[in-house]
Amino acid sequence: MTAGGNGRAAFEDFIVREASLLDARRFRDWMDLFAEDGTYWVPAVPDQKSPLDQASLFYDDRDLMKTRIERLEHPRIHVQTPPSRTAHIVGNVVVEDSDAAKGEYVIGSTVIMVEYRDDAQRVFAGRQRHRLRRHGDGFRIVQKRVDLINCDGAFEAMAVPI
Amino acid sequence: MRNGHADEIARLIEPGRVHRRVYTDPDLFELEMERIFGHAWLFVGHTSQVSEPGDFITTDLGRQPVVMVRHRDGSVHVLLNRCTHRGAKVVNERRGHAQRLTCCYHGWSFDTDGRLVTVPVPEGCAADFNKDEFGLASAPRIGEYRGFVFASLAAKGPSFEDHIGPVKGNIDDLVDRAPDGALALDAGMHRYAFNGNWKLQVENVLDSYHVPFGHASTVNKDGMQFARREGDQKGATVVETGKKQTAASWKDRKSFIAGNGHGWTSNTALDDGKRSSPAFDAYKKVLAEKVGKTRAGEILTPRLHNSLIYPNMSIMGLNIHVRVIKPIAVDRTEVTVYPIRLVGAPASMNFGNIRLLNVTHSASSFVQTDDLESFVRAQKGLKSTMTDWVDISRGLGAEQPDRERNVTRGLATHEMVVRAQYKAWLGYMSAAA
Repeated sequence: MTAGGNGRAAFEDFIVREASLLDARRFRDWMDLFAEDGTYWVPAVPDQKSPLDQASLFYDDRDLMKTRIERLEHPRIHVQTPPSRTAHIVGNVVVEDSDAAKGEYVIGSTVIMVEYRDDAQRVFAGRQRHRLRRHGDGFRIVQKRVDLINCDGAFEAMAVPI
Repeated sequence: MRNGHADEIARLIEPGRVHRRVYTDPDLFELEMERIFGHAWLFVGHTSQVSEPGDFITTDLGRQPVVMVRHRDGSVHVLLNRCTHRGAKVVNERRGHAQRLTCCYHGWSFDTDGRLVTVPVPEGCAADFNKDEFGLASAPRIGEYRGFVFASLAAKGPSFEDHIGPVKGNIDDLVDRAPDGALALDAGMHRYAFNGNWKLQVENVLDSYHVPFGHASTVNKDGMQFARREGDQKGATVVETGKKQTAASWKDRKSFIAGNGHGWTSNTALDDGKRSSPAFDAYKKVLAEKVGKTRAGEILTPRLHNSLIYPNMSIMGLNIHVRVIKPIAVDRTEVTVYPIRLVGAPASMNFGNIRLLNVTHSASSFVQTDDLESFVRAQKGLKSTMTDWVDISRGLGAEQPDRERNVTRGLATHEMVVRAQYKAWLGYMSAAA
């Protein structure tokens, strides 16, 4: 744990911009923030230990992410007719771990996403953790994990990533 | 429809159509809870969910909250989850482990076979109070086949054997895939809900007609769906290449009905010869070591796509899982999807199934979400009172006896299976309450 106050703003900027790409439905640009070995994980169990032996709401590697995004771009995706509109807010950002020598960082934050679609509005909320790797002047996401407070609840259809 | 006279209900079901009220009438829904969910054999859970004495899961059978629990002697009990004192729900967790089931209100405590063990301040009990009369009620009848536990809330009715009939073979098809011959429903669950009637989901599991249209967003430009099984290089051909027409191989798929509303669809044509990945190859090897190469080959040649065990569960043989359908209200349904762990298969193979089930049948999947949209829109459309009837006539009269299997066969893009479900529905609903 070497990071003090310095650098937090850069991480916060990064994850705020990441969320804003989802709100803008720029899904391909969003995917490009992930490293080639990057994963997007939304567990379905509180404090889930592993995505390998338990079901998850999302556990996408780049391949599944690509399939998901191709579907989001498909003209006949019924569950996005009309499309979702979302607004994310990211806060309570904490640098949980950092290894400047390796260029690897773990950033915790709280996320709230409000989604409106087809006359209905709903709220998702939880704690998220970004594992980032330095990439040139910026970062690539090694893993984005979102622990929703209601992760083991019953959900109506969810089409867009949180 | 408050009284539910048999002749009045019979008028809702015709050979090729059903009245919209079966989806929208709250009184009919209450009758379904009594006459179908209060009588039929319902899937409760799997023995692997309660593997140790004291393990329990809770669920609802229609309107009745129940707890399925393993007792010290190894027996599995399905108990009414309602305190015999003042009526509070006794077990509140979805699953867990307990020596005793203790009510939060006054502390009445029940053994894992339902027997009332402790009543705090017993000197206050009435002089003739007999603890033996205050145990948690048990489901009157329980049936089990290869770990799948079913219960009927009616003391009388067709036996479990008569109810399940040839669909036992569909359970075998799944269990036999496990090198150790056993399944475990211990890989978590997906839970989704929708504002629609429960029968919309039940009808959908055997509906192959909707796939090229309803799931168009999962079909690539070559007409193929994404790969849904570990080791597959690509998915099924759903749409004819270069055309906007349902593929011939898709139109050729079969469906089967086996009485009591049960049915299944035949396998999706996939290139099984090319199915290969490190995880799948390792699994194939382990299976062949256990059951022999010939038998392993048979097991790994898919025969079944979806199987419906009417009225509340389905088993999928493609990307394997068990699905349980729980009616909440006439226009609200909750569904639980359990990934299946094949006991004895390499962890990597079981992960392959979990990983792909996340993207096929979770609330956030590529496939199920478009079905949910169709269910919600069906419920919205069926509110219209300008038209009374829902058409289910595809393939009416084209059903054929399948003497080899002793069942009835049709095309999977027909609606024979839906008609069979309404035949069973009418049987339950017309029986004297």
